[in-house]
Amino acid sequence: MGVLDNLVMGFSIALTPFNLFMALAGVTVGTFIGALPGIGPVSGVALLLPLTFGMPPTSAIIMLAGIYYGSQYGGTITSVLINTPGESASVVTCIDGYQMALQGRAGPALGIATFGSFIAGTLGVVLLMLMSPTLVRWALSFGPPETFALMFLGLTTVTGLTGEHAVKGYISMVFGLMLSMVGFDIISGDARYTGNIPEMLDGIDFLPVAIGLFGMGEVLVGAENVVDMQILNARYGLRDVLPSAADWARSWWAIARGSVLGFFIGILPGAGSTIASFLSYSVEKKVARHPEEFGRGAIEGVAGPESANNAASAGAMVPLLSLGIPGSGTTAILLGGLMMWGLRPGPLLFEKNPDFVWGLIASMYVGNVMLVILNIAFIPMFVRALRLPYNILMPLIIVFCITGTYAYQNRVWDVGVMLAFGVLGYAMKKLDYSPAALTLALVLGPLAERALRQSLIISDAGLGIFFLRPISAVLTTAALVAVAVPVVRTLVGLARRRRASAWA
Amino acid sequence: MRRTDQVSGLVLLVFAVWFSAVAWTYYPYWSDTGPGSAFLPVWLGVAMGALALLLLVGASRREGPGTPWLPEGDGLRKLLVVLGAVVLFILALPVAGMILGTGLFLVGILRFLERYPWLQSLGIAVATSLANYLVFTYWLRVPFPVSLLGF
Repeated sequence: MGVLDNLVMGFSIALTPFNLFMALAGVTVGTFIGALPGIGPVSGVALLLPLTFGMPPTSAIIMLAGIYYGSQYGGTITSVLINTPGESASVVTCIDGYQMALQGRAGPALGIATFGSFIAGTLGVVLLMLMSPTLVRWALSFGPPETFALMFLGLTTVTGLTGEHAVKGYISMVFGLMLSMVGFDIISGDARYTGNIPEMLDGIDFLPVAIGLFGMGEVLVGAENVVDMQILNARYGLRDVLPSAADWARSWWAIARGSVLGFFIGILPGAGSTIASFLSYSVEKKVARHPEEFGRGAIEGVAGPESANNAASAGAMVPLLSLGIPGSGTTAILLGGLMMWGLRPGPLLFEKNPDFVWGLIASMYVGNVMLVILNIAFIPMFVRALRLPYNILMPLIIVFCITGTYAYQNRVWDVGVMLAFGVLGYAMKKLDYSPAALTLALVLGPLAERALRQSLIISDAGLGIFFLRPISAVLTTAALVAVAVPVVRTLVGLARRRRASAWA
Repeated sequence: MRRTDQVSGLVLLVFAVWFSAVAWTYYPYWSDTGPGSAFLPVWLGVAMGALALLLLVGASRREGPGTPWLPEGDGLRKLLVVLGAVVLFILALPVAGMILGTGLFLVGILRFLERYPWLQSLGIAVATSLANYLVFTYWLRVPFPVSLLGF
């Protein structure tokens, strides 16, 4: 079947009333989650994952993906009106978006961000649809060494790019891998690190960990801060929100550049929508005819980054669906969901579950249309949600963490695990460790271990197997470079400091 | 954070040694067919040990005590109260059940920690418990623990 036939099949799935409802629910919740500061797409997807048990996997992923790309729309509202990013991919939007709002142009700022997001999101889905099958064909020839090399690359790049503290990123990643060793070993059947606790035999479940780290952990970080938010008053009538012809003329190329840049950044493991939005901003500033307007309300500074972060969320679906390797915290949680629904992620997904993959892709077209309508016509509704005080939201999120975790397997044990990881997540956040790297490693750990051991069985224990086959050689080398760069940077820094102190 | 990094470095180092030692002692490192179930754990322990040393060395080279990472005063008190309430909520699940427990937890936090008026606290608590019941018990058929009162 060609792409078009598949797409028609996908639409026949995405347009059923239940799946339309799930897409609408996902993008609406996503916009709220994006708009509310202190809760981002990772937490949102983790928190709502338990609601999807018992649902057909296709409907479940349609809703959760909707939350993911919907949150990229919602984050803008907070950046523009409160000068506080609703989520990290909208940090850069604060710069010019808030300036525009101060000049009374909040409407066009939100409008151009929405249209830019729509164009970028749709273009992103088109590219996702065209690129994934090619990638799948390539990945189908992968043996265990290539699979391991790919996961190794995914883990090292995600870790290397998160946060300023590379060492802490790698500690988080290795700790996640260690946690994934708990429970029955898939090859030998040995029970490892279970401490004779029966609940530990199946290993440390990913869901309580994810809800703990991203739901509970975030709430605890928020509990000690009291944020006093000033919401700018603005007019959101249809005429106030639609950008003028002059706005369009300035934004058009920014949107196009942001879309393409964002999509390809999104595909790269570790470089998600946040990096895409920052890169787009600096590109726009470089190519602008009046760079001095940036920081004073330049509409390109809103249009470019907001397009880039949406395209990146579509790009991030490429490695997730075609290779089974998530490139970001949110897609790591989606991967965990895939496995919980009983699907096997990887290149065979396209062959064995075409209804799932193409239903999702088609739903992303539909979801982006819904988001434009929501974000143009219902802005006041989202702004009102921002007035919900955090000290009411906080206990509600806690309740959701507890009930959702319990609903997973009806065990109080899981709730305890969730709370333990909530406390750990709080500490990790405060001390600059990376919860996303931990989660990714926990999900990929068992798969990576199996691929590693199978490779070593094939090669009769020789490590050369990772360097002699062309694809795994490239991937392994890239992974080693990703490990080496921060290490070298640290060593150079230490040496420089020592020289400086020797001089002093 | 410097002191904290030193302490975490030490703790992680001990943990890494323990992790490798357990794997080495109890599980086969190599079997007839190839790497055994201790193979990766042993190396993960080695990697963690190296990283912990890097953290320790890096932290010790920095100067000054660094900024504290735990909140002080009201912030710390609030954090502990919230954590305590959550632990109580979880421990009380077999007695209070999920639906009643949710309500009590919310009233506790909203009325006594955040000082919202009774009416507002009760309203939010009842509404959330009801929503919880409808979504999880009625729609998703999750067998939540029930209270001694039977709901």
